[in-house]
Amino acid sequence: MRKVIYTGLIIALCWFAEDCARAAELRVPQNAVAGQPLSIGTSGSGTLYLVGPGQVIKKEFKSGGSVDIKGEELRSAGRWIAVVRGDSNRSQVFWVKPGKPGKLNFLARPSRVPVARPNVISGVTFIFDQYQNLILDPTPVNFNLSVGGAGTTKTVTSREGVAWIDSASAPKAGAAQFVASVDDTSVARVVQQVAADPCERSFRMHVAGHTAQNIIVETDPIRDCSGNPVPDGTIVTFIQTDKTGKSTVDARIKKDTARAELPASDNATITMAAGVVLGNELHVGGR
Amino acid sequence: MKLARILILSAGVALAISGVAPLLERIFADSKPQVQLNVKNAQPREVEDVTQNAIVRDYTLAWQAISTSLANNTLQPLNENFAGFALDKFTQRVKDQKQNGLTTRIIDHGHKVDAIFYSPDGAAIELKDTASIETQVLDGSTVIHSDQAQIQYYAVLTGAEDRWKVRVLESTAK
Repeated sequence: MRKVIYTGLIIALCWFAEDCARAAELRVPQNAVAGQPLSIGTSGSGTLYLVGPGQVIKKEFKSGGSVDIKGEELRSAGRWIAVVRGDSNRSQVFWVKPGKPGKLNFLARPSRVPVARPNVISGVTFIFDQYQNLILDPTPVNFNLSVGGAGTTKTVTSREGVAWIDSASAPKAGAAQFVASVDDTSVARVVQQVAADPCERSFRMHVAGHTAQNIIVETDPIRDCSGNPVPDGTIVTFIQTDKTGKSTVDARIKKDTARAELPASDNATITMAAGVVLGNELHVGGR
Repeated sequence: MKLARILILSAGVALAISGVAPLLERIFADSKPQVQLNVKNAQPREVEDVTQNAIVRDYTLAWQAISTSLANNTLQPLNENFAGFALDKFTQRVKDQKQNGLTTRIIDHGHKVDAIFYSPDGAAIELKDTASIETQVLDGSTVIHSDQAQIQYYAVLTGAEDRWKVRVLESTAK
């Protein structure tokens, strides 16, 4: 009976030892990082396959020990499968984390926006390492929006790979530099800030002259409420109403002012508008 | 006699159905993964119903494309459903598999997906996906690795010409 127990124990011990030996044939790393070198422990001889999310690495090994993978070979973060084929076949799953921030994907909208409007510009940044792996750990991102050197900076910590802000447009018209940066990586976009609608209180016209048949009206320099000149090409509509009916002229702003020739009348009312903004009213002729 | 014939015929039909049903189930399971999308936590913009349906349709197609491409080492399905970094990576994976004589069989048991970010302009959406996936790596016709696991993926999709395309697809340890 004793012999049987001893034999059984020896068999169990051999089994355990064999299991330990086999387990040692493939040792995968616990804290691998994309772009950093890696060692995979093996024994015996055979072929090691590393099957990653965006690549497959194949290495032959002969005398066991560890198989070294160079940093530039290990590019993909995520779930990897290590497979050994040779004296024995084994496989294991391991994880590779993304490296340091190295690339930003920055979406800035819109590309053209009126000045002095709240929350009209949005910036969205996805943060990647140099091998295009999304960095999911919280990372502070600086957003800077400036026109002509003056601007605002805001820091937002990313969540699950993305950081975003809503920003007001500046009161000054011009090409705004919208920059997102993480450490020494930055990406710039240009947001064209244009004058808003004409300011109602300064949107005025006057009679600039007469011809035999027509009356010439002209606006004062047209500006928005922040003092930015309204862009050339913006349409101003002049409407003259008299006993014969209505005359309408659409004129474009040219060098800050708009000008129109309307039929001469002995008693007419002239109004003007640009978009939804109304200017002053003129009465011409009359007795 | 007639009763016996009917019984034998019924048994034959039952046998045929029992054989074919799992096969059909497997075929449809492989070809169309189940995707359940929850958009309640999407920020900063709410996901519109139409977008929601489009995301489910296109994310499903993307996973179908992954399965087909990795199983057959073909690039065409990837080109139709992926763009940017994700396309670069899967293209490289397929090329490497081909070069090393490997293929990967993915048996997809479904995805529970949360939309976690939807950009203010509606151009990009980020998804967090808990996928139940069985992975088999084959060297020729020999299975050299097999596992079944719940894997967490982060996906970024952007609007393309006629569909949403996956730009980023990254798995992460939970």
